[in-house]
Amino acid sequence: MRTSLRFALAFVWLASGFNALATPLPDTGNLHQHPAWLTLVHYQPDRFGDGYTGQADDDDFFLSANGKTSPKAELDATLEAITRPGGGDNHARCRFPARDRWLRDQLDLAQQPADCPAFDQWTEELNTETVTLVFAASYLNSPSSMFGHTFLRLDPPQEDEETNLILANTISYAADAAAHDSEILFAYKGIFGGYPGITSIQPYYEKIRLYSDIEHRDLWEYQLNLTQSEVDMMLAHTWEIRDRNFDYYFFDENCAYRLLALIDVARPGTDLLDEVGTHAIPSDTVRWVVDRGLVEDVYYRPSAATSVSHSIDSLPDEHQTLAAAIANGYVEADAPEVKALNDEERARVLDTTYDYVRYQSEADGWPREHAAPLSHDLLKERSQIRGVAAQNGAPEPAIRDDQGHDTFRASLSGGRIGDRNFAEVTLRPAYHDVLDPPAGYRGGAQLQFLRLDARLYTDNDELQIEQLTGVEIRSLSPRNQFFSPLSWQVGFGGRRTDTETNRVFAPYLEGGAGGSWQLATGTQAFAIATADLEIDDDLRRGYDAAPGADLGILHQNNRFSLLGGVKTKAWIVSSQHRQDQAYLEGNWHFGREFSLFGKFSREDHYDRYRSTWQLGLHAYF
Amino acid sequence: MKKLIAGALLMGASTLAFAQPGCGIGAMVWKGQSGIAPHVLAATTNGTFGNQTFGMTTGTLGCQTNQSVQSMAMYMESNIDKVARDMSRGSGENLDTLAVLLGVDEADRDSFRKALQDNFATIFPSSDTTSGEAVDAIVALLEKDEALSKYVAA
Repeated sequence: MRTSLRFALAFVWLASGFNALATPLPDTGNLHQHPAWLTLVHYQPDRFGDGYTGQADDDDFFLSANGKTSPKAELDATLEAITRPGGGDNHARCRFPARDRWLRDQLDLAQQPADCPAFDQWTEELNTETVTLVFAASYLNSPSSMFGHTFLRLDPPQEDEETNLILANTISYAADAAAHDSEILFAYKGIFGGYPGITSIQPYYEKIRLYSDIEHRDLWEYQLNLTQSEVDMMLAHTWEIRDRNFDYYFFDENCAYRLLALIDVARPGTDLLDEVGTHAIPSDTVRWVVDRGLVEDVYYRPSAATSVSHSIDSLPDEHQTLAAAIANGYVEADAPEVKALNDEERARVLDTTYDYVRYQSEADGWPREHAAPLSHDLLKERSQIRGVAAQNGAPEPAIRDDQGHDTFRASLSGGRIGDRNFAEVTLRPAYHDVLDPPAGYRGGAQLQFLRLDARLYTDNDELQIEQLTGVEIRSLSPRNQFFSPLSWQVGFGGRRTDTETNRVFAPYLEGGAGGSWQLATGTQAFAIATADLEIDDDLRRGYDAAPGADLGILHQNNRFSLLGGVKTKAWIVSSQHRQDQAYLEGNWHFGREFSLFGKFSREDHYDRYRSTWQLGLHAYF
Repeated sequence: MKKLIAGALLMGASTLAFAQPGCGIGAMVWKGQSGIAPHVLAATTNGTFGNQTFGMTTGTLGCQTNQSVQSMAMYMESNIDKVARDMSRGSGENLDTLAVLLGVDEADRDSFRKALQDNFATIFPSSDTTSGEAVDAIVALLEKDEALSKYVAA
């Protein structure tokens, strides 16, 4: 006992002696509440209480055991760790180079360089001078991609003529779902959480292949005006969060969100994350980045689909027919009618046909037995034409995706159904419908989330929910001799339904598929076979189902949009009455902030006619 | 710079399934793509699969040791249909990327493009040509060219 006590005393003396010899750590004061520190460790204020919680879902991201909930404990632990002597890849300075850099600046610590071989090699390879935010737009016939996707490209210095941006690296944040789960689970976990979100680095050409060639999404490249020192800070922080798990959530903590955090770290005070309320829609986040003056230049990279459509449209009609005939195997690539063209024309026809065959192989799965020999023949013929360069790609759209209307819409309107007047308020958090201003959005595409329509009937001051839309997706993509996409729609939610004596609120599920055809620029006709299901106690058998049809015409331009047509539904389970409707809706657009709208419908149901009309204003913000 | 790019490309590849650089058999050039279910899924979560990678095998001249050639082979592996397209036209960014990876000087770029366009049918003799065979043919072609042979010297 006596001996151990002596040892203990000696140990205490030694320990205090060492302490006295080491440089005392500076007083950090309130530094742990500095916005830049909170951003660096991804702290968010707690919803309840005045504390903070870090968003990283990975113990290795924190140096203190209490780091997830205590910015101060984490800052003290970080300071202690980065001032410890030594070096090497496992030293805190090398694991957290951004924190190291920031703390040293704030506290005036000695700036001796750290010895971090892995981090140094990594930054040297990335060789980044500027950073470009890349936005992958939505793609043809897939309105669910309308949210878009964003990632960062690390651009090497451009004074070197040999540098090619295709080989530049990119930083992405995405749900790491490859090893898991069915489609339904995928969607569920994407929304409610459960997938690890992983920051990954890939060459830009892999991204181009995925987005531009396979998914047919146009890419918008927003070159940011970050300084070299800001770029270095961003890379240092990327190193910190690389391979660290941040759970992925579809609506808020998604790809765009994590990139905003990187920009906030690079340029403190930008506070892009403050913009994120309930959701971070990538196209909105691009708007914020543009509005903050962070963008120096914008470039457009059309997708394979956009390029091939453009090449087809640039061909004269008879050459279009020839290209379609070659693609479908009716005419050989070296047939006399092809040879008869002059070099320039022949090059255009062969180029377009090849791009179209590649597109069909990717998008429609044309069999290799047909596509491969044909592709080879086309290129062999083309290689014999000298001195005709490839044609320029599709031109940049006049209005970029980030220049379209904002995604939150609030509406006020008045109307009349039968002999009752009402006032209606509609709130739609996201995103776009076919009657909204079309600039910056895909034509004929619609995606609405969580829309609420509430009505106040003025005769008896009765407030009713008219409709609650969970999700509503609609895709009207015109067909022609080259492309034959399916037009389709799907939706669910709750809505007022007519039971002959009453209008009751019933959960519904609806869907449809058909075709649409372009009549003129911005105008298309569509024919959709529909199916409806409603479930409610007030229906005679508790539910009802209706096959039906919807025939209409849609016109979209930047001044107004019009949708009109006829719908019929044959309710076959409970009511056994047909429901026929003629409808006309129009929106007049005032810039991208407001639209005046009007709707009229006349319906024949339960052997009686009823008209509904409505006039109001949409505001987008 | 060119060494840096070539090195980075290979470095990135080492994290992929890239067992024996320069010794495998490349994929068929104009393969038919089927099954794009993943892209629908990716779309619905506005993200993408984090570790989606493309198979990497490459075949060159009995394990070519030239780093630039290996990088070119890797690039062609995942972009072969676009490289072939640009080659047949004698211009385009994918052809320029090959030149960058091989370190072809600005002064030699035109003859590089022309050599590949002129010899398209030699580089891709049939639709079953693998990307490895195409790389071999390009290397053999450049080796015979007085001005361009220095870029593929092992």
